[in-house]
Amino acid sequence: MARMKFLCDAERCIECNGCVTACKQEHEIPWGVNRRRVVTMNDGVPGERSISVACMHCSDAPCMAVCPVDCFYKTDQGVVLHDKDMCIGCGYCFYACPFGAPQFPQLGAFGVRGKMDKCTFCAGGPEPDGSAAEFEKYGRNRLSEGKLPVCAEMCSTKALLAGDGDVLADIYRDRVLRRGKGAEVWGWATAYKAPAGGNGAPRPAGATPAPSAGPAAPQGGKS
Amino acid sequence: MAGHDDPVMSRAMRAARSLAVVVAWAALSAMPAHAQSPALNADDAASAKAQQLQQETQPLNNQPVWSEVRSGRPQVTQVRGRETNVLIQQGGQTWRALRNGQVAVYGGWAIVVILVAIAAFYLWKGPLRLHSPMTGRKIRRFLPFQQLIHWTTATAFVVLAITGIILGFGKSMLLPILGHTLFSWLAQIAKPLHNFMGPVFAVCTVIIFFTFVRRNWWRAYDMVWIRKFGGMLSGHDVPSGKFNAGEKLWFWGGVLFLGVVVSASGFVLDFANFDQTRQTMQWANIIHLAAACLFMMAGLGHIYMGTIGMIGAYQAMKTGYVDETWAREHHLYWYEDVKAGRVDVEAVPSSKEPAVKPRPA
Repeated sequence: MARMKFLCDAERCIECNGCVTACKQEHEIPWGVNRRRVVTMNDGVPGERSISVACMHCSDAPCMAVCPVDCFYKTDQGVVLHDKDMCIGCGYCFYACPFGAPQFPQLGAFGVRGKMDKCTFCAGGPEPDGSAAEFEKYGRNRLSEGKLPVCAEMCSTKALLAGDGDVLADIYRDRVLRRGKGAEVWGWATAYKAPAGGNGAPRPAGATPAPSAGPAAPQGGKS
Repeated sequence: MAGHDDPVMSRAMRAARSLAVVVAWAALSAMPAHAQSPALNADDAASAKAQQLQQETQPLNNQPVWSEVRSGRPQVTQVRGRETNVLIQQGGQTWRALRNGQVAVYGGWAIVVILVAIAAFYLWKGPLRLHSPMTGRKIRRFLPFQQLIHWTTATAFVVLAITGIILGFGKSMLLPILGHTLFSWLAQIAKPLHNFMGPVFAVCTVIIFFTFVRRNWWRAYDMVWIRKFGGMLSGHDVPSGKFNAGEKLWFWGGVLFLGVVVSASGFVLDFANFDQTRQTMQWANIIHLAAACLFMMAGLGHIYMGTIGMIGAYQAMKTGYVDETWAREHHLYWYEDVKAGRVDVEAVPSSKEPAVKPRPA
């Protein structure tokens, strides 16, 4: 069974925000909620890098661990989903998530937040696949239609990859070998460290021409 | 836009445009490198400079970028929202470990231990009884306003404690019994109840502090009471003022200190609409949980002594009156003050009897 993951290639992301837009469009996400965002480091100076981030569907998901009503569940493909009917809008998942994935439609006084919304890996929710109720709450269920997440499908530079973690790792390893740099896979160590499948971040030894002379290795894979 | 081979464009115009380009280029080149990005502040300028140098000496090394990522500092993003410019926050893991770990385990079991200890004490010693028969003469102990503020605070406290336990411990205690749907319903009632009752409790805390602060100043005889543990083990009555040292500890440590701590941390969590960061709310949550557990433990002690732990104590706050024997045995100095007419208006013996006469225990 495939273990679904996201992978963003920082060497390729051009901060076009196409993934953000595609996601909003596909799922008809309301104003103020963005399931995906692009963050740029060292903006405007040589060597700037951008990374597209959404829910990474962690192996040991912090949101699941802290949810007081246990509304999260994990599909057999490793996708972390939640039941909005159960969600009480306490915001604990937002505190716990390293990636800032959980979003709330409101942020009012007295902790009024509405139901949490986050990336579903285009896999909908607990309602029947493709139903109107599912679409209204969670957006389109592309996985049930045999399609991959729309953000990655729409990515013009194929920086954002979505799919089976093993396949993504192979693609990425091939890229690193060809270009000889950019071996850091952002977020994988945080999201998928010591998972059940034993699928760690692909760090092809010797693939990079050892750019850093010092003992400190590039830290991207650990972030 | 006209091309450079446009026959209409005069030689002079072309020259002027070239000059402008040269001037602009010279101006840009003269600027320091880090000033090229208006988005950077002074702190980020150093790392940007480091990154730029890195690009010249080690063009394949992205280490500065990943250091930026790990730092959790705000970066640049086009997506508006709370902390959307932070790529990854490390604090959530610490919060999760503390909340699900030490705070939940020690806090939860400490409450259970206190409950068991109180039950054991009750079974062992039973309630504190009066040694002499009741006189039937009543002394006014609490004014109606004091009763009102006490019971308002008490109601808020109990509601907050129960809803807090549902939200904090219900996942492991109630959910396996009730199931997901029913427990979710309960939690959806508990959360707004907790969030709206919290500010009520905070206001009550302020009022109740000023209502009772005068009689809670620490006196020398309170240390004697502490040393003898209020006579709860020996059975001998230890004299005290209007409030004994146990009540004073509850007042200063519970009502004031824990009340302020849970209220302040609660406000941080309850009013998330002031752009406080996740880190602020994580720590507020940990402080809130730890203080609330201590508060509930102390509250259990207070509730026990105020109800089944001492005969006559509940009637005092319910009716506002106590029997003279009760006053003499439990609060001797206050009783003497009342008898000598040395006390303030609140404790002057009332000429009129309480509407509901407390039944002798």
